[in-house]
Amino acid sequence: MRRLLRRCLSASFTLVTDQCASTSHVHEAEQSPASRDPTVDSPGEQVAPHTVDAARDAVFEREVLACLSDVTRYARSLTHDEAAADDLVQDTFLLAYRGYHTFRAGEDVRRWLFTICRRAFLRDRMRSSRVVTTDEGTDAELDTLAAVTGHAAAQRAGEDMLFERFDLGPAIEHAIAALPEVFRRAVVLVDVEGEGYEEAAEIESVPVGTIRSRLFRGRRLLQEQLLDFARDAGYQSANTPPSITAASPTVIRPRRAPRHASDAQMHAAESTT
Amino acid sequence: MAPPAPIDCETAVRRLWDFLDGELGAMSNAEVEIHLATCARCVPHFTFATGMLDAVAASRRVPGDLEPLRARVVAALETSGFRGTRT
Repeated sequence: MRRLLRRCLSASFTLVTDQCASTSHVHEAEQSPASRDPTVDSPGEQVAPHTVDAARDAVFEREVLACLSDVTRYARSLTHDEAAADDLVQDTFLLAYRGYHTFRAGEDVRRWLFTICRRAFLRDRMRSSRVVTTDEGTDAELDTLAAVTGHAAAQRAGEDMLFERFDLGPAIEHAIAALPEVFRRAVVLVDVEGEGYEEAAEIESVPVGTIRSRLFRGRRLLQEQLLDFARDAGYQSANTPPSITAASPTVIRPRRAPRHASDAQMHAAESTT
Repeated sequence: MAPPAPIDCETAVRRLWDFLDGELGAMSNAEVEIHLATCARCVPHFTFATGMLDAVAASRRVPGDLEPLRARVVAALETSGFRGTRT
């Protein structure tokens, strides 16, 4: 069983590194076969026969280790446990170092590290047999409409100005931590770390439609929790709910520059989720 | 290219997250923008959603002192041959 697990994990990591396999890295020739196997049981206990290469290590330190803060935050969002997150961060950088010859110059280092971090996290969880299954959130539009309906109810109750008038920082962190894992991962990648749908899908190794569904479900749950929090805290707007009888002069723009995927792609996504 | 067609409120709010995330196609994006310019009913929904996304983004924090963790990571890397300039 353990051998089978190792084979699966090895194949899993190969999927990550194969994306960059055609890249000719300046230090590729120095990698030994042993150094390409990052899925050892305890990376810290293994001494891979790397040839010391000061130039490569300097680049690694400058460009990869510089992401320590981002990787730590992401690892903590995955583990919910600081000590476990530190272990995960260490494993992530070890795996990154051993697979650095496969990294393609010009690619997003942070995204590459997030992918490794997520895979390492799932590997560890699989080992400890704590796999949690959950509803995937398969109807993105339904979740969007539910979020709007939830807002409409809050609007009628005069509770919808909470983001402008309430310090929700701690409540948001708590609400994100309470989300079921797959939804939390999507919300963290897109809404906290600022990745686009495609980039988050790449990190999660799932189709874009899956990330979109998970994200929309996660946002809906997040909104419900925050509105509940505001109600429990006795929040109610002192103002009359905004009038809906006259056009508002507010100009709403996308928060990110539109990617302008083809409308055909968009409609295809809408019809499949 | 044909001008954007009018869309109803349900179509607009179905596209709420895709619109705010900049993930709509050019035509779909323009249809939502035109709808929002004339529909006072939908604007608060988009404003509220924008407020939530802004608040979530603002909750992002830089982890505290990472020097101990960095030292630990570097020490582990050194067992794999890493030689950093700060070590």
